[in-house]
Amino acid sequence: MSDDFRARARAWLAANAPRRAAGDDEAEAESRGQAAVLAEQKAFQAKLHAAGFAGITWPAEYGGQGLGSAEQIIWSQESRDYDLPTGAFFIGLSMPGNTLVELGTDAQKRRYLPKMLSGEEIWCQLFSEPGAGSDVASLQTSAVRDGDEWVLNGQKVWTSGAQFSDFGAILARTDPTKPKHNGISMFIVDMHAPGVTVRPLKVATGHSPFNEVFFDNVRVPADALIGEENKGWDAAVVMLRHERIAIGTMGSSRTNPLAFDSLRDLAAGLGRTDDQGVRRELAELYARGRAVQLFALLLREETQAGRLPGARGSVAKLAGSDLGRLAGNIAADVLGDQIAGFDAAELAAVTTSIIAAPGNAIAGGTSEIQRNIIGERVLGLAKDPGVDRSTPFNQLRVGTQRQQ
Amino acid sequence: MTLILTDEELALADSVRKFVADRSPLTSLRQLIASGEPYDAGVWKQLTAQLGLAGLTIPESYGGVGAGYSALSVALTELGGGLVASPLLACVLAAEVLLQLDDDAAKDELLPRIAGGELIATLAVASSAGGRVTAAGAGDGSVVSGAVLTGSVSPVLNGTEADVLLVPADGSDGRTVIYLVDGGADGLSRTRLTAVDHSRSLARVALAGTPGRALTGDAAAALSAAADLANLALAAESAGAMKACLDMTSAYARIRVAFGQPIGAFQAVKHRLADMEKSWELGNAALRDAARAGDEKPDRFSVAASVARVLLAGAYADAAVDTVQLHGGIGFTWEHDAHLYYKNGLSNKVLLGGPGEQLDRLADSLGI
Repeated sequence: MSDDFRARARAWLAANAPRRAAGDDEAEAESRGQAAVLAEQKAFQAKLHAAGFAGITWPAEYGGQGLGSAEQIIWSQESRDYDLPTGAFFIGLSMPGNTLVELGTDAQKRRYLPKMLSGEEIWCQLFSEPGAGSDVASLQTSAVRDGDEWVLNGQKVWTSGAQFSDFGAILARTDPTKPKHNGISMFIVDMHAPGVTVRPLKVATGHSPFNEVFFDNVRVPADALIGEENKGWDAAVVMLRHERIAIGTMGSSRTNPLAFDSLRDLAAGLGRTDDQGVRRELAELYARGRAVQLFALLLREETQAGRLPGARGSVAKLAGSDLGRLAGNIAADVLGDQIAGFDAAELAAVTTSIIAAPGNAIAGGTSEIQRNIIGERVLGLAKDPGVDRSTPFNQLRVGTQRQQ
Repeated sequence: MTLILTDEELALADSVRKFVADRSPLTSLRQLIASGEPYDAGVWKQLTAQLGLAGLTIPESYGGVGAGYSALSVALTELGGGLVASPLLACVLAAEVLLQLDDDAAKDELLPRIAGGELIATLAVASSAGGRVTAAGAGDGSVVSGAVLTGSVSPVLNGTEADVLLVPADGSDGRTVIYLVDGGADGLSRTRLTAVDHSRSLARVALAGTPGRALTGDAAAALSAAADLANLALAAESAGAMKACLDMTSAYARIRVAFGQPIGAFQAVKHRLADMEKSWELGNAALRDAARAGDEKPDRFSVAASVARVLLAGAYADAAVDTVQLHGGIGFTWEHDAHLYYKNGLSNKVLLGGPGEQLDRLADSLGI
């Protein structure tokens, strides 16, 4: 059965999946136009789904394949050497998608999951706010009940893919009289609804992978609630767990300019492999990159054996961010003074990746937050003494509630 | 190939862990320090006769258990966690060299006795800076059955206690041959070194016209296989010891109170422990891969074992220093166990080729 699946996956990938040169979605979108890239990705996702390789572990009644994590592992192994043009769906499937599978109502799962898998609808995740990043539970976006609807007001930031998303999973405060974690709910919001405004945020690389999103009296129906009212923090924890595991186990494809193979070839091309320091750094990068992959594999095997990774997903996230930073430093050493000034496109791509590397340690929960989670939930250390955990949110006078 | 432990491996880990807790707790290492004995002969007898650990990688046809590298790594992880002093690593590496050579007489003669714990054997190799031995009377490309060996190697695992030594030596033709040297041979002197790690007995082995019996087979390949196995073994011991440091220090951070809080509540402490947990998880995953590769994917074993060693050698040494630091003053006392791990970490990092040498070897294998 698993052997069949592997053979089928291998054959399908060889026949259908492109082995592309290095490049990121944003850079590609800027050169070829967003619409063209998106159309190609939607077409590919539809093909992937039709062939039976999307939603491998999701239930068949919601468009998934109803298979186990063994097949998921096989798929990850087989697809590793391809750059699948599915970037627009990564967030939707791994975060809101997995959360809906876990917490959604039957009606929500029937309505949304099949179209997520087939690439017809793209999703984003709306958690962070200008005043609530690591401390996301201090968020200020509000949802006020009005008859059969909720009315959303507020601002979200760092929203990947909001500019082309059809739906989003949003956290909003539904009861400010409760302590900050206990008065939050999660909703499905139609990103095309009146009152939703998306503006791109330009980051250090010069690209705009993120957006800020404004909600101005946006109405969502009562059945758009994911999980229970005022239990949005629990839903957020579920989604963040999926996010960490997704980011931590994403692996680095061999076409990533900071992957070991790419940097070894770059070093050879620049004549830097005679330098013992560079050789040792590259060998160490290989070792660390390999360990991150193996740890992801180990977590998956444990899941398959019935031992859930829980907070150890944060180890994968932290390790992946650390690896990115190390790879960035080593890439800079390989380039030497070529990083200061270059005219080759190849060097531009590496340099952009080096500049982008610190972002991994911020997005999806900073490395500092991951260390808190690991310390508290893996090692059982005491929680940070928070002054704001038990006070009703509307009586707090710290953080986003500080009075000017 | 799966990374997680099989039921048999979990059972082996369990029995070795129980043995360590009952028969070789850290208090018994302190007794060894006081007595000056290199290891507890009673413990060694039980490790071999009762648990069969010296024969884990020796096939049944030579009196071993034939359980393989992964089983060995599981046992060494538990022994490493308890800093159990024994000549197991020395014997395992010597057995590996014999198994890789094609000298059937030597295999028949030595392997069953090593497997049974009756014979302590060691491989007289150290890092590249540890000295070389030359062979006279050998060479000219002709196979000779014996030679006279001269030179010195240090540090050699259990060099003082070994009944037999396997000594690689260069002939006048530059070719390396491995010689079998008896512990009582003429001109052989063994000097016990002051070992930084209290759980390791190390010696300078000096040969002055010492007779050795040449073993037939590809010496370079055998030494390379032993280097790979040494990487796996030291990675396994380090993983166990690092986990002991992590558990010990986390436990302390949960109960030690300062400024009205358990110290683990403070991020300065919490984040260091989180990093230690992360490094252990990564090293452990690499160790599992190397152990499996040893049994199932021999062509990947060398690189996988290097990866595990490179990661765990550094991570454990750092974790051991953090263990001292996070315990504060008490962690720096002789009575506390932290220094035992700190010293073991310093030693494990460099034995049989330190980080730089490992990275150079890995770089060669990776085509850098």
